[in-house]
Amino acid sequence: MAGPIASETVLLKACDCLTPFGGSVETLTALLSGERALQTQPVLGREGGDLVPLALLPGRALDETAPPSWLAQVRALLAPVNEAGWGTARRPVFVTSSNFGAGSLYAYRRSGDAAHMGYGALVNCVGWLRQQLGWQENVTIFSHACVSAHLGLLQASRVLQAGLADEALVFSFDFLSPFVSGGFNALKILNADFPAPYQARATGSIGLGDGAGYAVLSRTSGDFAIVAQSMYNEMHHFTANQPNGAGFEACLAPLASQAAGRRLWLKGHGTGTLDAGRMESGAFAKVFAGAPLVGWKGSLGHTLGSCGLVELALALAAIRHGRTPGTIGSAAPTFTAEVAIDAFANDRYDGVVCASNAFGGAHAALLLSHA
Amino acid sequence: MLERFIQAIFTDDAGAESQAETRERLKGSFAPGATRRMTQLGLVVGAALNKLEPTADDTLVYASTFAESRSLESYLDSFPAASPTLFQTSIHPSGAQQALIGRQRSLGEVFSHSGVDQMPAQSLLTAMLAPAGRVLLCGGEEHGDWLVNYYSAQDRTFGYALALTREPGPAPLGRLALLPTEQPGALKQSQWFDLLHQRRALDGPIALGWRLQLSWS
Repeated sequence: MAGPIASETVLLKACDCLTPFGGSVETLTALLSGERALQTQPVLGREGGDLVPLALLPGRALDETAPPSWLAQVRALLAPVNEAGWGTARRPVFVTSSNFGAGSLYAYRRSGDAAHMGYGALVNCVGWLRQQLGWQENVTIFSHACVSAHLGLLQASRVLQAGLADEALVFSFDFLSPFVSGGFNALKILNADFPAPYQARATGSIGLGDGAGYAVLSRTSGDFAIVAQSMYNEMHHFTANQPNGAGFEACLAPLASQAAGRRLWLKGHGTGTLDAGRMESGAFAKVFAGAPLVGWKGSLGHTLGSCGLVELALALAAIRHGRTPGTIGSAAPTFTAEVAIDAFANDRYDGVVCASNAFGGAHAALLLSHA
Repeated sequence: MLERFIQAIFTDDAGAESQAETRERLKGSFAPGATRRMTQLGLVVGAALNKLEPTADDTLVYASTFAESRSLESYLDSFPAASPTLFQTSIHPSGAQQALIGRQRSLGEVFSHSGVDQMPAQSLLTAMLAPAGRVLLCGGEEHGDWLVNYYSAQDRTFGYALALTREPGPAPLGRLALLPTEQPGALKQSQWFDLLHQRRALDGPIALGWRLQLSWS
């Protein structure tokens, strides 16, 4: 069964991201050069533990500080668009994340330093961030694991399409801490190997990365458009998909009709796990046969709830630059022939499908194209 | 007009009930053995949601200010040997998912809200803008322990689930409408729950820019 689709176009007035390489332009340059931000580090930060692949912002430690160490970089990221007026009735903000202030909660519980609690729980973290960034109270918060950013984009689109806002800011952030790296390590999907998305190999692995991104959505201004958005929730298992991969296809299929006549490339979720990678690449090959598929988490790691927005900004930068980074970290054999290991020129394509997946078999995807 | 009709509503004011008491009271609402790993919030929200018989065509809007507080507390205390089970239920709001996974009920759109003073209005707006013919709006909180001291968990447990439609149908239980307003307003999750649980009407500002009309048949 296919999921529903939101097919009213919204324009991207501005969009950028933050990764260990810098903004979207710097990150694109690094990805096109095949650079990998992931480095093996102790999973519990200063408390040690297994070595696992993590990609942290330069100079940032896994253990959180008070106030959180990432604030300055978030301010710099948002500076080009953070003029006064966000969070008012006609200029809503949509904040999405998977982690929010989990690193501060962990720091408090391990150290006993109550200073961390001002940024710790989800609502405290966003409340503090709102004050720091000068936003008014019209801030909607979504948290749905690794498709969180897509929820913000979809609801912001609907608010605009309903004429309830002039512009909308969607902001997503996820910064690593032992809270999350320790959790994924406990699930045994982190190990010392670097991720190789969509590669057919004996053992899968993922990496985790710091990341943030934003998009300013508008009905009237912007040279790129989110043409359609789709979502599907399997509700099969917390950490596994339906074995037949039907959930991936159910999310992607509704976009196919919207994409008819376009030459597409595909930016998949591609964390590096084997089962999900096989099912995802298989669904892409079935729904968009022949379209090249790339994934960038082999370099950046999985930026969790923010990956949808981080990788949207990178897809946009790739289109503007004319070259799409390949699937860094992977090599043949791949699950499908469509997996593009190497970078390629994208000027003969006129759209990209960007997809993300999450705990609980949640799937989200969007179609990005020139306006 | 942003208007929806309440076709069904289930609420559960568990108050200070312990997790074990809630599990025992509600175990009949779930498949045998399914409650073993469910959180208290998952139990109260899930029991209410299950009564609405979710279908694949429904959109689900889930709202919780603090989500799985107990799991979060226990997960933090599981370090340095982090618990994989508690990680899954503490890294994101999962109350509604717990019930739906238990029943293998896939859905198209699921929106998971958090927030404080604006959240009930925002979750209503999400429900009213969703194109689905029926939207299930559910939510709740669970009683926390040490997180309560930092305004990071609720001091009571409750859950609710409503089925909303665009058309009134033959016998709507109530009506919800969002109207623009210049008056300042705020409505916390616990206040919203009390309105629903006690079937009280409201006509007033509940968030920046929004006034709620809630009436009961």
